[in-house]
Formats: sequence, C-alpha cells, structure tokens
Amino acid sequence: MSTILSIEGLRKTFSQGFIPRRKEILKGISFAVSEGEIFGYLGPNGAGKTTTIKCVLGLIFPDAGRIELCGRPHLDPRSKEKVGFLPENPYFYDHLTAREFLDFYGQLFGLAPAVRRERIRALLKLVDMERAADLSLRKYSRGMLQRVGLAQALINEPSLVVLDEPLGGLDPIGRKEVRDIILRMRDEGRTVVLSSHILQDIEMICDRVAILVGGLILSQGRLADLISEKILFTEIVLSGVGREELAALGEPLSALAGRTLLKVYDEARIPTVLDLVRDRKGSIHSLLSRTQTLEDLFVGMVKPQ
Amino acid sequence: MTIKVIAVNTFKEAVRDRILYLLLFFAAAAILLSRVLAMLTVGDRMKIVKDVRLASISVFGALMAILIGTGLVYKEIEKRTIFTLISKPIRRYEFLLGKYFGLILTLAVMMASMGLIFLGLVLVETGVFEGRLLLALVYVFLELLLITAVAILFSCFSTPILSSLFSLGFYLIGHFSWSLEALAKKVQPGLGRTLLAVLSAVLPDLENFNIRTEVVHALPLPAAHLAYAAAYGILYTAFVLALAVLIFRRRDFV
Amino acid sequence: MRKTLALVLVLCGLAASFSGLELRMRTMPRRKVPGAGILYIPSGKYVKYGTFGFSTLIADVVYLWAIQYYGNEEIADRYDSLLHIFGIISELDPRYVDPYEVGALIAAGDMRDLGLALEIFDLGFAKNPSQWIFPFEAGHYAAIAKDYPTARAYFKKAMDVPGAPAIAKRLYADTSFKAMDLQTSWETWLEVYNTAQDDQIRKIASNHLYQVKSVADIAALKAAAAKFKAASGRFPAEPGEIVRAGLLPALPKDYDGNDYVYDPATGEFRTGVIPWKR
Repeated sequence: MSTILSIEGLRKTFSQGFIPRRKEILKGISFAVSEGEIFGYLGPNGAGKTTTIKCVLGLIFPDAGRIELCGRPHLDPRSKEKVGFLPENPYFYDHLTAREFLDFYGQLFGLAPAVRRERIRALLKLVDMERAADLSLRKYSRGMLQRVGLAQALINEPSLVVLDEPLGGLDPIGRKEVRDIILRMRDEGRTVVLSSHILQDIEMICDRVAILVGGLILSQGRLADLISEKILFTEIVLSGVGREELAALGEPLSALAGRTLLKVYDEARIPTVLDLVRDRKGSIHSLLSRTQTLEDLFVGMVKPQ
Repeated sequence: MTIKVIAVNTFKEAVRDRILYLLLFFAAAAILLSRVLAMLTVGDRMKIVKDVRLASISVFGALMAILIGTGLVYKEIEKRTIFTLISKPIRRYEFLLGKYFGLILTLAVMMASMGLIFLGLVLVETGVFEGRLLLALVYVFLELLLITAVAILFSCFSTPILSSLFSLGFYLIGHFSWSLEALAKKVQPGLGRTLLAVLSAVLPDLENFNIRTEVVHALPLPAAHLAYAAAYGILYTAFVLALAVLIFRRRDFV
Repeated sequence: MRKTLALVLVLCGLAASFSGLELRMRTMPRRKVPGAGILYIPSGKYVKYGTFGFSTLIADVVYLWAIQYYGNEEIADRYDSLLHIFGIISELDPRYVDPYEVGALIAAGDMRDLGLALEIFDLGFAKNPSQWIFPFEAGHYAAIAKDYPTARAYFKKAMDVPGAPAIAKRLYADTSFKAMDLQTSWETWLEVYNTAQDDQIRKIASNHLYQVKSVADIAALKAAAAKFKAASGRFPAEPGEIVRAGLLPALPKDYDGNDYVYDPATGEFRTGVIPWKR
C-alpha cells in the first residue's frame, strides 16, 4: 500500500495583530496516509487540523517540514491534479447555479465539455441534488451547499479526497448520507482524509486515525489498535434489590421508578448480581457491556492538557 | 488556459454587478445632459459637448474599474471561495491574471456601450463621424487598464473601502503629476530637487493618455506621442500586475 | 526564493523603463495643458457650491492652471475665455489679488484689449473696495493707452481709497491736465502743494501748477492774438497791444510772475522757462 500523503516535521507559527504576537499552531507534525484508506484527523477545536490541511493544499505556507502529495512536492501544482477538497463551512459563488459551478471547476481541470456534462450528471445524482441543480447557490441551505461541495470535490475523479469537518451542521439523516458517500468513495478506490471532532462518525468509518492536540500528534494508528476490546464495565438496569445490597457488587447509580442502574466493573461479579436478583424475585431490565470508545481515548488524551 | 476559465467566470460575475449598471445609467445621463451644459457656455458648442462627454466616459469608466476591481480579490478571500480555487492545480498568478482579464473584458463591454451612445449622438448631432473620437476612447480604455490593475493590487491586501480610496488617490496623483513636475523645476538644485524629479518620473502620469483636448480642438496628434503613451500604459500596467503577483505569492489564506 | 528575486528584478526593470518613457515624453512638444475642461464650467457661482469649502484652494489650482494655459501658444483660441476663467477664479476666491492683475495684464498686453483689462480691474475692485491697487493699475493702463479721461476717473477712485499712496492724487491731477480739465488739475495740484510733506513734492507741485497756469494763460493769449489779427490783419507787434486793443484786461504773467515770451511773426506765446527746469 503506497503512501499518497506524507507529512514530516510540519511547523507553523502565526503572527497576529498590529504588534505581532506569535502563536505556534503546529509544533512538528508527522503522519502518513496510505492509498485506499479512510483516514481520520481528530482534535479539539483550535488544535490545528484546518491549518494542517491548508498547508497540505498550498493555502498556507509552513515554516518548516516536508509535505508530499501524490508522489510530488506539495507546492507543485501537478500534485493536486488528482486531489479533491471540501473546506469547512463551504462558500461558493452565489451567482452560479450548481450546474454552472461544477462546470467551472471541471473547466479548471481541463475536462472536455462532454466529459464534464457526464460527470456533473452523475455527481448530482450521487449527492441527490438533481432537482435543485439549476437554482442559484445563493438559495441553498447549509446542507445543500455541503452536498454540492462534495460533488465539486469529486469532479476530477480524485485519488485523494480531503474533507474538513464534512459532517458539521448536518442533521442525522444528512450525516448518514455523507458517511455513505465516503464509504462509497473508498469502495471506488479513493483515499479519504477527513478531519472532525465528532468522534462517533469517525469511529464508524475510519480505518486509521491521528489525534492532534495542541499542535502535536499525540497518537496515530489503526483504530482497532488504539482502542482496546477490553470491557470497561457492564451496566445492568434491575429492580427488586435494595441499593445497600448492590453497593458491595458495583456502583448503583440512579433509582427511577423503582429501577436501579448498576455499574459493575468486575466481570466476575455479574453472575453474583444475577443470582441476587433472582433470589429477591426482582427483574433484569437490561444488560449492556461497554468497551472503550474513541471518546474515552480522546478525552483521556485531551484532559491532561 | 486556466487564466481564460477564471477570466470568463469573473466576467460573468462582474457583469451581474448592479453597480455597473447604475454607473452606466449615470454616464448615459451625463452624455445626454452635456447638451444642456453646452447651452450655458460660450464658444463652440460641439467642442464642449464632445469634451464633456469624453470626460464623463473617462470618469465613469474609472469609477467602474475601481468599485468592482477593489472587491474582486478581497471578496474571494473574505468569502473563502478562494479555498476551493487555490486547492486546484492552478498557480496563484493564474488566478490573479484571470481576475484581471475578466474585469477588463467587463470594462470593455461597458466602454463599448458608452462609446456607442456617445458616437451615435455625435453622428446624429453633427452628421460627421470622427475617427479621432474613437482614438480618444481607445486611450481612455488604456488608462482604465492601468487603473484596474491598481484596484486589483490593492484588493489583494486591503478592504474595499480602503482600496477604493487608495485607487482614487492613484487616479488623482496621476492627473496632477504636472504640478509635481512644475514644483521640481522651481526648487533649488540639490537633493530636494532630485528627489522631487525622481518622484515625478516614477509616479503615474495619467495625462499621457489624455488626448481628448487635442482630438476635440483638432490639434495635431504626433504618432510618436501615441506610441509612447501606449507603451507607457502597458509597461506601467505590467509593473502593477507584477507587484500584485509578488504580494499574492506567499500570502497565507487563514 | 529565486522566483521572488526574478520578480523583483522584473519589477525594477519595468519601473525603470516606464520612468524613462515618461521623461522622454515630457520633452515632446505636445505638452497641451491638462484640465482644459475648466472652460466649460458655466459659472464660478456653481463651482463654488461644488467645492465643499475648499474654494480658495480650487481658486489657486485654477489660477496656476490658467497661467500655464495662457502661456501655451499652441492653443489659438485661448483668449476667448479670459474673462470667464478669471471670473471663475474671482468667484472662488474674490480676495485673491494676483489673478486680477495677471488677467488684466494678459488682456492689455497680449490681447491689446484695454476694455477687457479694465473690466477685470473693475471686478477686482468691486469685490475688494479697499484695494486701491486695482483702480491704480487700471489708471496706468488707460494712461499708457492715452485714454486720459478714463485714466483720471480711475485715479480719482484710487485716491479716494483710504490708505492710497499720495502719488495717486498726483496722477489724478496729471491725467486731468492731459484730459484738458485744467480747472480740476489746478485745484488738485494746489491741494498737493499745500499738503506736501517735503520740499521735493512741493517743487513738483509748483512745477505742475506753473505748467497748468501757463497752458491756460497761453491759450487765452493766443486766442487774443488771433482776434487781433482777425481785426487788424496782422499779429500784435508786442503783447501790450492786446491789452491796448481791449482784448484782454491785463497780460497774464506766469506762475513765477514773469512774462511769457512772444513771437510776433507767428502770434505764438511760450513760457520763458521749461517748467521742470525752474
């Protein structure tokens, strides 16, 4: 599996304000993305995710470090021939319709008119924007803009698609649709890099992740490797047993309408709990094991900062 | 190729800007009303009418160039539409030049409209078609080429209001450079005088493009002057555009 | 980095070339004066309202421009609008003295139009009644053109302005004389004589008084001699004959009390001395 994007020792400091105050955003980032995978770039707000992406795409010039994109130095315009990009909160030319807009970008890639027409048709279908294709973008809702933006990112049939917070501001249905499109991209053999701070979505679709906190990569690797399969605790909702008796076995949490939520940390104690309930003629309403989520990992890394 | 694509897109956007049509309306009004002005003055009416009309076209053309030009690059940066653009395989100078030529195309259309009204009216009023009037218009357009470049230059790094003021300043300085030249001659020879002389040579002299008085008063127009003026315009425009490219090259789009 | 350097070099090269072109273009004789559109402003009144309080500044600019405009011989019809242009300057800044003077100078000197020059002076004086210089210079221009009645009217105006120099009065007296108003001339010179502060002025005044008297006297004498000839067919042999013939009550003497010199052959009288050499 070859590397489609590699970043080494990336540094960027910004000087803001009239009396320049230096702020170091990226303090030496290194990671690599392999072909064909969905790569998640995580971090809290302000960590430097967007800055990293902008450096890769030539919108910002790094102070130090090397970036290679599709086998070429990233500042070579040719390196972006097979790259698609969707920025956060996308803005597009108000006065154009979706069709004209996509046509414009198609022209920038030097696509022939027939090719453009065909691709635009297919893309509009993919993002479900066929009906609104001839309205001016001025009239689009956020979700619609996001979808047109996705289409624009795919106009050149890219090998690498970079998405900056693609799921932000979408309703649950919208988020599912976008997730599906991303998965489809991978099926088509494209590499996807997406940055987000919504962990559930990342967890659902990414193969590998890098976690950026305070300008440094604290952790990176396969999701499966990072998150252990270990069961953290089991949550049992039961009734019929008093709290005092449960306290010895686990952590009784809430008591609502006669039911208690008991957190059992030690797996071995579960049978004991079940026996107890049966003895007291109580009922088990639910039993759920919780493994480590990405959120747990994430919070664990961010909190100490 | 990329330049052409961006230019066409810019043209489509600029041509829909309502300011253009507002200014076009006022220009047309000025051209028509100059007839009234002629009745108030003394002397050869047609000369006055032609001169005022040409001056209106020049002023309104400059306003169009400045008002649209100063927003061109700034809006892209402000609205962040530039992100999806620069992330494509284009070079930054291609973007700038595309914007420039798109606006020039727009201005050409506007100038053609104003010019048509103007020449048409003159034809109706005098029955004669003067080729030299066309020449005067061409040189007004040359001046616009330079002013547009300046507007775009400022648009690269400052807000439309400031850019408009700076561009207007450029326009005024350009039309009063003769006073700087006269001043330089009156100062005692020395450092001050040299400085003033250098300044007056480097600062733009937009009067070079102003052949309106010659055309209207039927004075001779040496071909040498025309050639030099055209070369001056092209060189200065190239200078301003190169400066814009330089500033734009390593700009961070945050 | 290399590209940046290349760009900077290109920039310098371009700047050098267009500056060079500019300098070359300046030497070309085309140099028509910019801003000739000023001609088409209907009236200075309207311009004033458009200048937002900067009218004096605009007046300066227009004046500077006008000087170049009128110095440009290539514009054949530039004089057509002299009054118009200077009218505009006057509207914008009525108290600015130089433009009136220069305008009148152009009118009188280049255009040889005394009336126009005087019109400009009148305009200046109307707006600035305390500026004696306007009627003063107007009087000079009229005198140079040998229009003495006009000249003396202006000198009268000038001398009546408080603070006008004493010479205005003397010029008034002198031009009155040249306009053949001997009475006024005499009276004025008498005033000058009586109010003179130093001997030199007194001497000048007395010389003029001498001259005025002599002109009046000689005219009377000459008329009498002519009558004598008409009556008797010959000129009187000596002035006394005129008195004896009853044509004059007495022989007038000159200002110093001396007799006038008589030439019997022509019947002409003249002064015994040249007035300035008394």
